Amino acid sequence: MADSDLSDNEPTTRTLLRHVLDTEAPRTPRRRQSTRAGVQRALPESPFSMRLRSQTKTTPRRQSHRARSIGRLAPHIQSKGQLKEQTPRTLLENILLTAPESSMVMPESVVKPVPAPQVVQLSSRESSPGSLDLQLPELNPPTAMAPSLLTSGKRKKRLRLSEFQQGMDQGLPLSQEPVMEPPANTGASSLTSSLNLTFATPLLPQSVQRPGLARRPPPRRAVDVDIFLQDLQDTSVATALPGDRTPVATLPTDTVLEDTQPFSQPLIGRSPSVHHSLPHPSLSAERTVSRRTRSSGPGLQNNSPEKPAQLLAGKAEKVDALAMGFPNTSNGTSAEDELKPLLDRDGEEVEEIMEETRPELASSAPDIPQARQLEFLEPAPSTSTAGLSAEPLPARLPTRVRTAGPRLRQDPYKMGLSHYAKLFSFYAKMPMEKKALEMVEKCLDKYFQRLCDDLDVFAAHAGRKTVRLEDLELLMRRQGLVTDRVSLHVLVEQHLPLEYRQLLIPCAFSGNAVFPAQ
Amino acid sequence: MAVAATLSQRKRVKRKAPRGFLRRVFKRRKPHLHLGTRCDLLVHLNCLLFIRRLAEESRTDACKNKCGIIKDQHVLAAAKVMLKKSRG
Repeated sequence: MADSDLSDNEPTTRTLLRHVLDTEAPRTPRRRQSTRAGVQRALPESPFSMRLRSQTKTTPRRQSHRARSIGRLAPHIQSKGQLKEQTPRTLLENILLTAPESSMVMPESVVKPVPAPQVVQLSSRESSPGSLDLQLPELNPPTAMAPSLLTSGKRKKRLRLSEFQQGMDQGLPLSQEPVMEPPANTGASSLTSSLNLTFATPLLPQSVQRPGLARRPPPRRAVDVDIFLQDLQDTSVATALPGDRTPVATLPTDTVLEDTQPFSQPLIGRSPSVHHSLPHPSLSAERTVSRRTRSSGPGLQNNSPEKPAQLLAGKAEKVDALAMGFPNTSNGTSAEDELKPLLDRDGEEVEEIMEETRPELASSAPDIPQARQLEFLEPAPSTSTAGLSAEPLPARLPTRVRTAGPRLRQDPYKMGLSHYAKLFSFYAKMPMEKKALEMVEKCLDKYFQRLCDDLDVFAAHAGRKTVRLEDLELLMRRQGLVTDRVSLHVLVEQHLPLEYRQLLIPCAFSGNAVFPAQ
Repeated sequence: MAVAATLSQRKRVKRKAPRGFLRRVFKRRKPHLHLGTRCDLLVHLNCLLFIRRLAEESRTDACKNKCGIIKDQHVLAAAKVMLKKSRG
């Protein structure tokens, strides 16, 4: 067939390709040697050349095939035997493999970066089906030139700029010495700086464009810091004054004098606790700010329209009420919880009133000592009860100032009962009302009372002061839980977890040991 | 011994008994009495059984009244019966 084609002068594609191949035959001896020497050399060469033509996705099989085909080409071109068996595609590929050697003569600096972007750009095209490969190689060479030129141009431009900058930088220190050339160089430096700036500016808008990423501290922090500093100053002043009765006169006056801002007032009274609450200054300050705004706002609004006489009268009333309230609180009844919020609110208002009616203080002499006592007694119970409370806010004080006894009595007891109430709801397997749960807790309370009484009786009957397991077993027997059929151990095994079972039921272990020992 | 080994293997006890709570309650009620080492576990067992019976009783009461929900009157009635039973 080849002979027939060659003999024919019809310009078929095949003949053209053959012609090309024949003309390029002399080059093949290079490859021939390389291929003969080692296919491996052809392999790295072929992939590189193939990459130039953006055929990176060629499998090693193909590469080897091509190498082999190239290898075959070499001997077979002359013989022109197996070319006929090859398809036009393979022929084209061979052409592509052989042709680019001419383009490789071009400077490598351009070629090397070229394949990289080309690979990136045209790698996507590689995924196209093989049928397009025939057309792609034709398009690629012309297109490859344009982007290569563009990239090279860009590179050249960048190089030029960088070089220019470098040159200028180098030239700057040299030029700075002679004074004669400052203007030109400053101009150049300004240019470079401007260039630098121009290079830097594109980065900035990106950050500005994304304001969400900018981490700005909340503006209110400044206020808290100020308040905190003021509190520190106040605490330093207050702690300097010992908690004696004698400097009581100075305390309120100092507090009054320092009450320049409505926000810092109540904190002075709780200065010792503030001192302790250093770890949470911002939080407390914030909350104080929020609380004070709420309380001081209406308080001030209420007070401002009133006349001073009315204010004084109101203050006297409040003071009396508070004085009444204090002996109650000193007793430590549960009513203090209700009084405390009133106290705190009144305390704030009293302080505000005092601040506002400074000139009237002299006239309201009897009120001042009471107010002082109020103010003084306020921190006293707070320090005694709250002590190292973290948040010395008056709105929080009612929760903290509760005496330790009643609170512990109620809450853990309720917690324990609720623990059993949950079990009740579990055992019932039916939806329950909350009132029913409360009822269950009451029943449990009664049951506990009875239990303790019974155990007391049994222990006394046995002449002991300690309740033992026998007493409990007797109790359960009397209750009807433990019978002749059902022993205590059975119940223990049924209802208690393993750990408790092991503690309660004596078990024999190795070494002739019994645990728990009887 | 073996007990210690088993305890160390599994440190999380399901349905823990509130031992401290029980001791505290007993101490408050009977300060002159002492509670034995493992007696609070049996007390806990006692409470469990009591509550179990109470729950079943209240459930039957609610079912008697053809209620889908246990109400406090059911619980009250059941408690009356139960406290009578567990008089000891």
